[in-house]
Amino acid sequence: MEKKPVQRRDFLKALAFGSAVFGGIRLVRSTSASERGEASPYRWGMVIDQSKCTGCGNCTLACRAHNDVSPEISWNRVLEAAEVGDKPVFLPRPCMHCENAPCVDACMVGASYHRSDGIVMMDYDKCIGCRYCEVACPYGGRAFNWVEFTGPNPAVPEWGQPEVPRRPRGVVEKCSFCYHRIDRGLKLGLKPGVDADATPACVVACPMGARMFGDLNDPASEVSKVLKQHPYFQLREDLGTSPRVFYLPPDEEVTA
Amino acid sequence: MISIRRFKIQPVHLWIGFLLVVLAIGAVAYGIVLIKGLSVTNLTDLVPWGLWITIDLSAIALSAGAFLLCAVVYLLGLKRYEPVARTATFIGLIGYSMAILTLLLDIGRPDRFWHALVYWNTHSLLWEVSMCLTLYLCVLALETGPIIGRTQWMRDRFPWISEKLMSIHHFAPILALIGLGLSMLHQSSLGATYGVLKARPIWYKPGLSVLFMFSAMVGGPALTVLVTKVSGRLSSRANIDESLLEPITRFIGWGLVGYIYFRFWDALSMSYTYEPGRSEALNLLTRGPLAFNFLVGEMLLGAIIPAILLLVPRFRKSWIAQVIALALIVGGVVAFRWDVNMAGLLVILTYLPQEINTIYTTYFPSMIEILSGIGVVAYGVLAITLGIRYLNLIDHRQEEEAHKQEVIVAATD
Repeated sequence: MEKKPVQRRDFLKALAFGSAVFGGIRLVRSTSASERGEASPYRWGMVIDQSKCTGCGNCTLACRAHNDVSPEISWNRVLEAAEVGDKPVFLPRPCMHCENAPCVDACMVGASYHRSDGIVMMDYDKCIGCRYCEVACPYGGRAFNWVEFTGPNPAVPEWGQPEVPRRPRGVVEKCSFCYHRIDRGLKLGLKPGVDADATPACVVACPMGARMFGDLNDPASEVSKVLKQHPYFQLREDLGTSPRVFYLPPDEEVTA
Repeated sequence: MISIRRFKIQPVHLWIGFLLVVLAIGAVAYGIVLIKGLSVTNLTDLVPWGLWITIDLSAIALSAGAFLLCAVVYLLGLKRYEPVARTATFIGLIGYSMAILTLLLDIGRPDRFWHALVYWNTHSLLWEVSMCLTLYLCVLALETGPIIGRTQWMRDRFPWISEKLMSIHHFAPILALIGLGLSMLHQSSLGATYGVLKARPIWYKPGLSVLFMFSAMVGGPALTVLVTKVSGRLSSRANIDESLLEPITRFIGWGLVGYIYFRFWDALSMSYTYEPGRSEALNLLTRGPLAFNFLVGEMLLGAIIPAILLLVPRFRKSWIAQVIALALIVGGVVAFRWDVNMAGLLVILTYLPQEINTIYTTYFPSMIEILSGIGVVAYGVLAITLGIRYLNLIDHRQEEEAHKQEVIVAATD
């Protein structure tokens, strides 16, 4: 009988302790690093024209320089996809920035997240390197930093100057649609997709003009117009990921 | 006065010594991984999860005896299984701590392990897994409290702490209920971690979470009974009552039959029609490099033979047949976890248009991965050995008496 009050006190103590811990966690989380930003009027997308791509790989090198990517990692891989006639057809593969991104759902700490303009971002300060996102991504778009990238970047300065910090060992990294170029460009009043300084490095570097970039929300943007006029496809549409990278087939009849 | 006792080396000292050596080697390998990073592994961007994740998943699965037996004792009210539940709880605690040790090894930034608790993405299955892992580890620690509090040493040295620890026993039914919920959620969400990924067709099915839980419910008690039976033979400090273990082994036997049933329909349904990625992965399991592991290790040795050994009356009387059966089940659970992980990762489904093309990759753990993994296992075996030796973990004798005594102690505080 006389046990009861003690138990109640213990219970209240436990409750107070529990809520303090919970409150503490909420507090840390609310002041946490990543800014998700306000609702954006933009929805960035990329169009890659396979009939123009010659597989030169300049996009990969420009990407490595501007994003300071290790030579062992490609954010933007150029694959030989098929042959039409006897001409090889290439398929450059950046991050698809999926609308329904499996990596964003998979990431347990929210280090992979959507910006309101649709870009799938990586918070390298949050990532714990569990690599679940790599397992979840159907496009092989992610790379883990197995070793620390030290020393000079062989793509610099020939292909550009680094614009973002290097990632540490032990985190997963991937293409970011050069969000820093977009953000800086918009601040300077430039138009991403039109002005080179506000456009992803791979788009600027392409000598064939095979890549287009712009706002899918804007019907007057080049990407919107091209997608209206030409047949296009996305990679693994069957998965329902809704990629924001669109491909124009080399021969329009192929995907018709 | 210094009294010198004559120290006689017993087999158990050699065993502990052996484990300590393995543990030391493992600790060195563990340190190398922490310092040099994951480049010392054979993991790649194509196969980012390997041996360690298998050890992690297996340790969790084999800890499932704890929640099952605690539920039997405190929720179904079958009090006579209490001593077995005690053994299972301790094994569970060690198993969960092994899982945490392996996870720390496996993540690229072990210094950020706490991010998993602070930054939440509630959509992520791994978020759920890490929450369950942490909370259930707390439950197991609380459930183990009375076991430690009850030791003579604690009672003599720290009577106050001992009393407090034993008083946790009052909450055993609540802890059992919370443990049941958390553990079942945890076991199945580990399956769902794989099961929700559409990019890997062999995994993408709701059945994976069911199979993970089912195999854990068979493997967990199997390890508990195995440890109990073997200790009963080898250690003078374990006092076991075979009649208490008999119904549990029969439950394990029937559980296996149910598990085989589920696995059969799971495999059969996957073999119909060609599905890119899934069919190739099934080929790996039935004809490819995983075939021996799957057909012989997982199905024949891991499920069918032990089911026969545990259910046919002639074998049930034989101690050695039972121990072999239980050990095979434990091996079968590990093989299942390995096969699930590997079957999904070794098949690379290309995303090129107009072309269904799959390629296979390979993975074999590096020496450092193996040594650090064995080190974690040695830690677990050592902890259980010491628990049996010093915590009176396996004692089916004066249970009633001890229980009464506890109640008296608790009532007078």
